[in-house]
Amino acid sequence: MNHRVIEAAPPPERFARGWHCLGLADTYKDGKPHAVEAFGTKLVVFQGEGGGLSVLNGYCPHMGGDLTQGTVKGDAIACPFHDWRWGGDGKCAGIPYAKRVPRGARTLAWPTLERNQQLYVWNDPEGNPPPEGVTIPEIAGAGSPEWSNWTWNTMRVDGSHCREIVDNVVDMAHFFYIHYALPTYFKNVFEGHVATQYYEGVSRDDAYLGFVPGTENQKIAQRSEAAYHGPSYMIDYLWNEAEGTTVETVLINCHYPIGRNAFMLQWGVIVKKFPGMDDATADAMAAQVAEGVGLGFMQDVEIWKSKAPIDNPLLCDQDGPVYQLRRWYEQFYVDAAEVAPEMTDRFEFEIDTARAVQVWEQEVAANVEAGISYSMIPKSMRAG
Amino acid sequence: MRPVDCRACGVRVLVEKRSLPHTSVQWPTGAAAACAEFAPRVAAGRATALIPHCAALRASIEQAVRDGSLEVPADV
Repeated sequence: MNHRVIEAAPPPERFARGWHCLGLADTYKDGKPHAVEAFGTKLVVFQGEGGGLSVLNGYCPHMGGDLTQGTVKGDAIACPFHDWRWGGDGKCAGIPYAKRVPRGARTLAWPTLERNQQLYVWNDPEGNPPPEGVTIPEIAGAGSPEWSNWTWNTMRVDGSHCREIVDNVVDMAHFFYIHYALPTYFKNVFEGHVATQYYEGVSRDDAYLGFVPGTENQKIAQRSEAAYHGPSYMIDYLWNEAEGTTVETVLINCHYPIGRNAFMLQWGVIVKKFPGMDDATADAMAAQVAEGVGLGFMQDVEIWKSKAPIDNPLLCDQDGPVYQLRRWYEQFYVDAAEVAPEMTDRFEFEIDTARAVQVWEQEVAANVEAGISYSMIPKSMRAG
Repeated sequence: MRPVDCRACGVRVLVEKRSLPHTSVQWPTGAAAACAEFAPRVAAGRATALIPHCAALRASIEQAVRDGSLEVPADV
């Protein structure tokens, strides 16, 4: 008898072309250099006196000094080894002990974007700037007085390639088995550099997720529109409705590669204030959502820690379009000239959820009957 | 996948339906950029991947199911 054999090529040598979020911009605005281990190297992030954030290679091209251990002097970062100065544009801005700067002395300056109160860095193995139209969209709620402040969390994941988390975009069933959700509608659209997941679901009577303040047994209707803008940055607009009240949330789910088999997972949350809600209460609500999301990611990580990489998944009809998602994702790992039309042409896939919903509702009812209840939120943190 | 022509603009997409609720649609290169339904939202700066579907195309697919030119396997 033939049996299925798992195939898996080694993870790609290169890092994805695209914008990668490095976190909240304010984190880097303390006048000190910051080290970020990313793209198989170390970067230095600093704010010059002009106010803008710059990202340079972390090691000084002179003798390899660690610029992240250096000092911000004026608009430049000064190396702790010999005080060579590097401007945010990558040009050598001065060598105090030298008569002149060597001609063309320049280190790698990474293109940056500050938007949504976050800092993004552009990676392109070919060294080209971001093309027209490939950017991170503005999030209307970010920085708005009608919304909370951002929460921000990070989790280093070792031993997995970041494509594992991107697979989640199409993975309807894992939302039930890993995240205690119950999807009722699930559709994907891939086009250009954007991959979207449209999701609707309901809360489970055997689980409490904490996305909406209130009692444990309230029914929550969930709707989400989540899109990767490039290889690593997902904006997820969420509407959770319970007892006539809708909580609007924006969740950022993003990552940057540290090495070929490690990445930094990051997530941030803002929630829209209810009328009359003060800042502290709104921030606490965002923190509660962020904690629930964090627990969800920990459940993903548990799976990744022991799962095998798999290039040839065996799919059933109720699975999402894993192969087409990976075809889309491949565009970020080939030269720009090698991006094939099928990687970026529009593709839509809507799952027939009827069978899954029926089976899952039965399983939930059986759990309730047996007194089984899952919780994402520690008891002490629960509202109501 | 079977070809279905949009009755609004004539674009030919490839469609597969494994059941009535399931739909898989592969658009040809450049077609989404030329879709009249998408155009106003694209002009407003929205990525086409953030538009769930074209209603005219959806209606055309449903019509193809009704007239039998797009077969849907019987539910088992």
